Amino acid sequence: MKRYILNSFIAAAILFTAACKPEIETPAGSTAGQANFSKYIAVGNSLTSGYADGGLYLEGQKVAYPNLIAAKMATVGGGAFTSPFFTEEHSNGSGYLALTALVNGTPTLTPVADKLAYRDAAKHLDKYSGEVQNLGIPGMRLDLSFDPTLTFSAANPFFERLLADAQVGKTNYFQFIQGRNHTFFSLWLGNNDVLGYALNGAVAVTGDPTTTLTDKVTFASLYTNMLNVLTANGQKGIVATIPDVTAIPYFNTVTVPALLAAAKAINPAATAVYIQTGTGTVRAATSEDLIRLPFQSAGLFGQGTIPYGLHPLNPIANNWVLDKDEVIKIKDYVNSYNSSIKSLATSKGLAIADTYDYFNQVKTGLNIQGVGINAAFISGGAFSLDGIHLTPRGNAVIANVFIEAINSKYGATIPTVDITQYRGVKFPN
Amino acid sequence: MKKILLSVLLSAPLWVLGQGFQVNLQGQKQIGMAGAGSALALDEASVFYNPGAVTFLEKNSVSAGVNPLLFKSAFKQSGSDITENVKNKIAPPFEFYAVWGPKSNKWKLGLGVYTPFGGLVDWGDNWSGRYALTSLNLKAIYFQPTLSIKITDRIGIGAGFVYNHGEVNLQRALPVNFPDGHSGHATLEGTGKGYGWNAGLYIKTLSNISFALVHKSKVVTKLDNGSAGFDVPKSLTGAFPAGNTFNAELPLPATTSLGVGIPLSQSTTLAFDASWVQWHVYQDLTFNYAQPVNGSSQTKSARNYRDGSSFKLGINHQASEKLALRAGVGYAFSPVQDGYVTPEAPDADRYILSAGLGYTPTSHFEVNASFFFEDVKSRKQKNIETGLDGTFKTLVYAPGISLTYKW
Repeated sequence: MKRYILNSFIAAAILFTAACKPEIETPAGSTAGQANFSKYIAVGNSLTSGYADGGLYLEGQKVAYPNLIAAKMATVGGGAFTSPFFTEEHSNGSGYLALTALVNGTPTLTPVADKLAYRDAAKHLDKYSGEVQNLGIPGMRLDLSFDPTLTFSAANPFFERLLADAQVGKTNYFQFIQGRNHTFFSLWLGNNDVLGYALNGAVAVTGDPTTTLTDKVTFASLYTNMLNVLTANGQKGIVATIPDVTAIPYFNTVTVPALLAAAKAINPAATAVYIQTGTGTVRAATSEDLIRLPFQSAGLFGQGTIPYGLHPLNPIANNWVLDKDEVIKIKDYVNSYNSSIKSLATSKGLAIADTYDYFNQVKTGLNIQGVGINAAFISGGAFSLDGIHLTPRGNAVIANVFIEAINSKYGATIPTVDITQYRGVKFPN
Repeated sequence: MKKILLSVLLSAPLWVLGQGFQVNLQGQKQIGMAGAGSALALDEASVFYNPGAVTFLEKNSVSAGVNPLLFKSAFKQSGSDITENVKNKIAPPFEFYAVWGPKSNKWKLGLGVYTPFGGLVDWGDNWSGRYALTSLNLKAIYFQPTLSIKITDRIGIGAGFVYNHGEVNLQRALPVNFPDGHSGHATLEGTGKGYGWNAGLYIKTLSNISFALVHKSKVVTKLDNGSAGFDVPKSLTGAFPAGNTFNAELPLPATTSLGVGIPLSQSTTLAFDASWVQWHVYQDLTFNYAQPVNGSSQTKSARNYRDGSSFKLGINHQASEKLALRAGVGYAFSPVQDGYVTPEAPDADRYILSAGLGYTPTSHFEVNASFFFEDVKSRKQKNIETGLDGTFKTLVYAPGISLTYKW
């Protein structure tokens, strides 16, 4: 009898144990707050589209920050979110760069050439018809959104693929995003208004509108027009500031000290790296002058009878370099754009994702949920292999910056994204 | 005495902890009383609870017991709507004791083998904190030969030498990705040893109220030549060399306990224990590698534990000649400071509840059973080192049973 009691006691204890899980309450509950997420549209450029590793491809599209946000919005009344995904057969889209070797820290990047989505020799991409809510278009600029010539809709293959044949060359982005009956929007646009110029070494190419710097006053005025249309029916939304483009790996991987060290390893007599500045002056470079990432694999440095970049008579050409003064100029434009963005958004009562501020923290380095993230090329985890766009992990981190800003502005409780479920750069095995 | 106890109680918030990796399951009778009982010469488990009381045991005995322990921890990332739980894994804290001495002599010998520290948490390879930790399996097995001597009919002292056999297996994911997207993984595994001692004083007053003062020393456990395995993409094996080894030191803290035993009646006894656990020895968890890992020969994680404390009150009631009933309550203050809570020890202040019973069918045999429950308070934390940000909540269940042979 006593043994029976004892056995029951133990059996009861084990059953009890199996049943009792610890619970963690969420005080705020589940709510959209003052916002309505039933139809969310994302307006923007390559970052919004999910462009990564120098291309637009399906894996990147699926983890674009608006798609991650939309998936989480679903728990607080968000509706379906459609994106112009490439098909599985053509999942590599425009093609992209893969890291195929890493020897002593020197990467080999190889273009992926299979499963591409080009439909003709002129490199037009597979068309996508049907409802689209991720409206991000790689290369889109604020000024070109209002392209009066309407030609950019034909010139940009990522835009062209979203248009019916009859519309190609007959519309611009500002018209394209309208009439979509959205209830909520995000707007992260304007990066290319300064980045296009910076990526070309601060050289505006005549006849190429993607390399110009948008005038500050024009920027504010066009941004106003954009917001007026997006909030025409009182919709709520979020805008994002423009990151300091000089802080990305594209401009911070090939550094002047690293070049000089490499030169000295071959010729100890090397004393300086020479550059041609934006004003045409030739001078010794300092660590304040930034060299573009592709210079690493351009095969120019130290070549020739007068070694390239190591002699005042054969300096690194202006378009490879953001010299100190160009950096200052670019930072000034970014700051001006951002102050316009913030004051316009504030006057319209919109949430602001301060990605400018956030990427400055990334540059210093942060630890998020056990993952160290910084702006280093390849190893930093946030930036993809083009040194400009984000990895899936970087997209997840930025999605949370948006989500937290939306929640805080509108009293919503969109759950955050678990960034640990998203990868950084893939390393060759 | 009351004054001392009072000052101990008042100063408690300044101390800390209680727990961390400490496992307070060393004797079924005491477990049934929430872990109190250092001032009672209850049974052979006094080898652990108070070597000074061992000599007052009436019989020689051997006993063995086990307390299958289920550590159920949950985590919710800040801002997330997903609660993640550790896997159901049962840790087996156990205890073995033997006590022998010539009858009506002044001394007794004792041997204890028990598990005073340990941890078994497995969060799985896919949880949101996996870059901080995926699993920890830590075991410390103490071997303690003991001598206990009666100084007078009412005062006993005892001391034992402690040898610790320690085992650790610590795993986490690494935020580097293979071509198929899956993460790298680190496994640190090793065994080690350490030495210490355990000494106690037992005083039985004329009113039969008994007192205990016990000190268990710190045991610095050294792990030498543990294996440091890193599963990373081949292009990174230069930074994460294969066949690497590590050395580390895990300091297990000293505990000082004051105990009181109060007989309420012929059949009922009250026990109270206050313990001060000197966790300040655990300042960092440092692994020194034989070959550099990702450019550094050492990884050092600050732990910055404070001292901790616990207070336990238990009651033992002899319901009949053969049946004893026990119950206890307790409270422990965590040694883990804000900013240092980790998934390997998601610690917080905790409540303790326990119950137990003992059955003595013959004068030689005894069976004791206990059920031990801890409610570790919910704690929202952002770890300073890893940035892991969320709320931990833990419940601990440990049923236990032991068999004793006495002669």
